Amino acid sequence: MSATARGPSRSLLLVFWLAGGVLLAFILLPLLQMVASQTSARLGHVAAMAEVRSAIVLSLEAAFATTAIACLLGVPLAYLLARVEFPGKTVIEAVVDVPLAIPHTVVGIALLFVFGRTGVVGASVNALTGYQFWGTFGGIVVAMLFVSITYTVNAARVGFESVNTRLEKVARTLGVGPWGVFGQVTLPLAGRGILTGLTLTFARSISEYGAVIVLTYFPMTAPVKIYDLFMQTGLDDSSAMAVLFLAVSLTLFILFRHLTRGRRSTRRGSG
Amino acid sequence: MSEALRLRGVSLSLGDFALRDITFTLAQGEIFVILGPSGAGKSVLLETIAGFHRPDSGRILIGERDMTDAQPEVRRVGLIFQDYALFPHLTVARNVQFACRADASRAHGLLSRLGLMHLAERKPANLSGGEKQRVALARALAMDPRVFLFDEPLSAQDARSRDALRDELKSLLRQLELPAVYVTHDQTEALVLADRLAVMSAGELLQVGTTSEVFNTPASEFVARFVGVETVLEGRTVAAEDGDVRIQLGGHEIHAVGEAVTSRVLVCIRPENVALSRRRSADSSMRNQFNARVASVSSLGHLFKITLDCGFPLTAYVTKQSYLELNLEPGASVVAAFKATAIHLINRE
Repeated sequence: MSATARGPSRSLLLVFWLAGGVLLAFILLPLLQMVASQTSARLGHVAAMAEVRSAIVLSLEAAFATTAIACLLGVPLAYLLARVEFPGKTVIEAVVDVPLAIPHTVVGIALLFVFGRTGVVGASVNALTGYQFWGTFGGIVVAMLFVSITYTVNAARVGFESVNTRLEKVARTLGVGPWGVFGQVTLPLAGRGILTGLTLTFARSISEYGAVIVLTYFPMTAPVKIYDLFMQTGLDDSSAMAVLFLAVSLTLFILFRHLTRGRRSTRRGSG
Repeated sequence: MSEALRLRGVSLSLGDFALRDITFTLAQGEIFVILGPSGAGKSVLLETIAGFHRPDSGRILIGERDMTDAQPEVRRVGLIFQDYALFPHLTVARNVQFACRADASRAHGLLSRLGLMHLAERKPANLSGGEKQRVALARALAMDPRVFLFDEPLSAQDARSRDALRDELKSLLRQLELPAVYVTHDQTEALVLADRLAVMSAGELLQVGTTSEVFNTPASEFVARFVGVETVLEGRTVAAEDGDVRIQLGGHEIHAVGEAVTSRVLVCIRPENVALSRRRSADSSMRNQFNARVASVSSLGHLFKITLDCGFPLTAYVTKQSYLELNLEPGASVVAAFKATAIHLINRE
């Protein structure tokens, strides 16, 4: 029976391809159907609306700001989780995953308890600077950060774990201090994992709706504005704006993914 | 000339593991091999010398300076790991320039000295084992190390390239005249590379000496077995006079040369010192000759390992030619002979 040495059988692959195909269709069909149902006139009409454009710009700005904060706060924690053994580590790992398991409206309400009018951060920041986290850019970023930080921490952690600690040790013996080794060896080698995490954080942030509306309904981010149009005018304008927003965010997402994948080969020439 | 490296009573505990009272010195230009099984603590010892673990007690001197408390980046040790640990994201040239002391011209000089100029812009993933080894040496040389530390650099290589890499490494180290501590679990590497060596087990150096001292006169049964002494048997001293020791071994009496202090001794016979023949030899230096029966035969590649029963178990290595000539199949009868001077005795309490 020579067939036993082969890979998976044909019937198994066929069934699995069928199941996978159904899934892919499930993802793509609604999006394609929505895009296909647009007319250029309606897209142009919606694109000309000032509040549509400002909502999309606001979403982009807030998602970029969130990603930057995620990088600053998430990467150090990822490094600690990858490299240091300490008591309570599994608890911290679970805490990092918690945002994935909470309904996003609940996230928004919980954030109000800290960043709201009477919350410990919200009240003290307001008292010191006059700034508030409700109905502002800051509120949007806080909501986005909570629901998306998990991706940065977990992907960056995998990135750090993939770096052989011997490389760091050799670098130390070559006369470079711990910060230099982190910057010149660890970070570049974990870079792919970190960028993957940041890309996912960006994507998750820009698509967030539930947590954002609790803290900041106005000014409207793109998902909020789309819902607003849907309630006011039904499917026509809302789906047109949805397609515009989809085009912007998917373009960025694909671009980032490409950058993440192609990093090594593009760097080769410059080295 | 001063020593390149001195360890004095270095002890360290690290979870379940401990280094115990490690003391040795390394002369300039000398290759000191630490031989031991995995888990013996060889890597921890090297990393302690490099500055990644702080000893609980004892001192580490590199050259004239006490470096016990110094950070790794100021110790000037060239650390070479298994698979060479080249920076995969940097070209060969940038790997060599990584050391903070290395300017471009110094790196350039090292690349050409080690025959690496044509590879300068390549990434490590595209290099052969020999090329990686030379890049790793060049990279370490760039910061002008006082001592090299090798942590089983060849253990992940296949058998054929390992021999070539080992020989090349030896000649490079000789040319560069740099002192090196080299840890390995491989006897052959130890024999080829070492000026002096130590056998390590469970965080302790069991024996330190020249290669021939450790291989021919092991201090304990563990060392004997680890350096390839196949026959280690307990015997009883019957008589000892004028350096001639007679020992009772499995109903036979054998002659050894040396001092037996205790009545119970361990008799060590290296397998390459046992000669097999059809009949007894008239050679008077072969004082120990026994009729033996072949118990088992296994091939070691170049040699055959023959285990014998001569009233006591004995192991011999023979060439393929002898194996065929003497027809050494299991059950065959032969004469096993070894010189009195080929026996090493370990005194037992």
